Amino acid sequence: MPTNEYREQFIELAGARLHYLTGGKGKPLVILHSVEGNLGWRLYLQQLAQHCTVYAVTLPGFGLSERPPWLETFADLTRFTLWMLDALALPRVSLLGHLMGGWMAAEMAVSCPPLVDRLILVDAAGIRPQRGEITDIFLHGQEATRKLSFFDAQQTPEYQELFGRKLSAEEREVHAKNQENAIRYCWKPYMHDPTLPFLLPRVRVSTLIVWGREDRIIPLECGERYRQALPNARLEIVDHCGHSPHLEKPEEFARLVSEFICG
Amino acid sequence: MFLMRFTERAYVAYSAEDVKNSFRSSVRLTFPNGHFNPALGADLYNEYLDEYEYADEIGFDGLMLNEHHNTPTCLGAAMNLEAAILARTTKKAKIVLLGNPLPIFDNPVRLAEELAEIDMISRGRLVSGFVRGTGIESWATNTNPAHNRERFDEAHDLIIKTWTTPGPFRWEGKHYQFRVVNPFERPLQQPHPPIWIPGVGSPETIVWCAQHHYPYIYLETDPQVTLDLMAFYAKAAQEVGYEPGPQNFGYLVRVHVQDTDEKAYEVGEGFLIGNAGVGRVPLPGDFMAPPGYNSREATKRIIAQYRHAARPDPLYGGVDAAGWDKVVESNRVIVGSPDTVIKKLRQVLATLRPGILGVWTNDGTISHKDTMRCLQLMEKEVLPALTELGKELNLPGPFEQAP
Repeated sequence: MPTNEYREQFIELAGARLHYLTGGKGKPLVILHSVEGNLGWRLYLQQLAQHCTVYAVTLPGFGLSERPPWLETFADLTRFTLWMLDALALPRVSLLGHLMGGWMAAEMAVSCPPLVDRLILVDAAGIRPQRGEITDIFLHGQEATRKLSFFDAQQTPEYQELFGRKLSAEEREVHAKNQENAIRYCWKPYMHDPTLPFLLPRVRVSTLIVWGREDRIIPLECGERYRQALPNARLEIVDHCGHSPHLEKPEEFARLVSEFICG
Repeated sequence: MFLMRFTERAYVAYSAEDVKNSFRSSVRLTFPNGHFNPALGADLYNEYLDEYEYADEIGFDGLMLNEHHNTPTCLGAAMNLEAAILARTTKKAKIVLLGNPLPIFDNPVRLAEELAEIDMISRGRLVSGFVRGTGIESWATNTNPAHNRERFDEAHDLIIKTWTTPGPFRWEGKHYQFRVVNPFERPLQQPHPPIWIPGVGSPETIVWCAQHHYPYIYLETDPQVTLDLMAFYAKAAQEVGYEPGPQNFGYLVRVHVQDTDEKAYEVGEGFLIGNAGVGRVPLPGDFMAPPGYNSREATKRIIAQYRHAARPDPLYGGVDAAGWDKVVESNRVIVGSPDTVIKKLRQVLATLRPGILGVWTNDGTISHKDTMRCLQLMEKEVLPALTELGKELNLPGPFEQAP
């Protein structure tokens, strides 16, 4: 049965109040969100919580998590999140990240290999494609980016709740803040780190790369490049699926990930 | 009163369909530069320079330039180049740059050097204005919008120090780091060229200007709104120990003069498609102000502090969105024969009392021929009247009385 019970928690670190959701039972799995922020205890998390203790962290500057004023760059964000896991007394975790969160997961694994038990990269940013381009989601704007992100919004169970309704004033405020900090961290070089591919061979843990075949935000080629650079990785392509397989096909996604973590 | 002349220097040889069919239907930032004809551009640049040189000859106190990127609405992508040309080819008028968009410069020291050269070549006629730039400038130069205000502040401080502190020195700031700041060329004007700041009414910027004694130039803001905003400046000035006067304020207004009111009305309508582009297709809001350009925290604080003190612009959307009749009726653009224009400008000057008046004489489809006729009529009738008005209303400019 999916685990839809979870707790909302806060910790203080370096003068900033940080938010996360946690639930489930088992080895720790840390979820690193994308530019949209922490979308809450979604269906795929409910599934994964049957097999792991899930920590869905809200990164500094997003949602209910404060940003220390000195925290400006993607490198700062990565190092701070490593520190956050220390503060949560999580010395060894599986990491799962999507887009920006996937990039962070890769950077964290490169910086601190002993931290990572299993690595899961989901349509991850971080590597620049050689043939295509990473779609400039800030230039396209929110509405166009939403359309580009999904292969079929109709098949996305939580689409209406997440994206298909009018936001309250408070939700719009949170969204604007999330966008501001996504731009702060990911602006230049846009959504990638030129040196990351050269450092990935350091990450020897088992890695699952999940990619929607019809991803129009980050080309499938990037998934392949991650697979080639990581010594112990496999690439699972989800058919008829866009940029967010964890939302668009949550059951298939959760099955892939839980089999990988538990296997 | 200081009288300066301006044009945005627009390029209009494209259609509204071209704009609508482009990425996000935007005339700025992403409108393909394949629509630009360099041969026509060459003619336009030379015509615009001819107009500025004529404005110098006929007695304008200042020649105002601005800078924008990735847009046909303003060909001043390298404003300092135009300023350098005018520094050499004009004789009397100040060269007023409103302004260099500081955040987009990765090397403010180089900018300080350029401006020093312009000041020397012009024999001390530079007015060095600075702006944050619109979001378009950030996009075009890949400058992080989340750092816009911080980069503006730090680049400003570094430029002032470069001009006024003997080198060599080091600068290790948050956004700029230089190990040997020591440009050999220093500006002629001491301690440095005057600094003016143009804008459309950001209270944060207005207060900052007052604290620095920099004149703030209101860019065709509604007159009543302008008065509200001037009160913020006055309060901030009083808090640092001085009472501002006309020499602390400027106002830019579109003015077009022809022999008759009817001809001016007909020709003046060309203004409307200059700044907003052919077809006046609305720009995506996140191009002009991308996320982070205005920090959410700062915006909330400013709204809380100033919301009740400034009313909204009654010409909803400003001059570039409203209909021509409404714009002319409300005197936000002043067109007419010399007599009509003088009467209308008297009203503006009596209400707002600026020590700096910027006269935006042409834009959009207003031809070079009509612009030159406008300038000729200004020379004969309007400029002398405005000079007298400035004395009658006691509106000293910043070169008559220090801001």
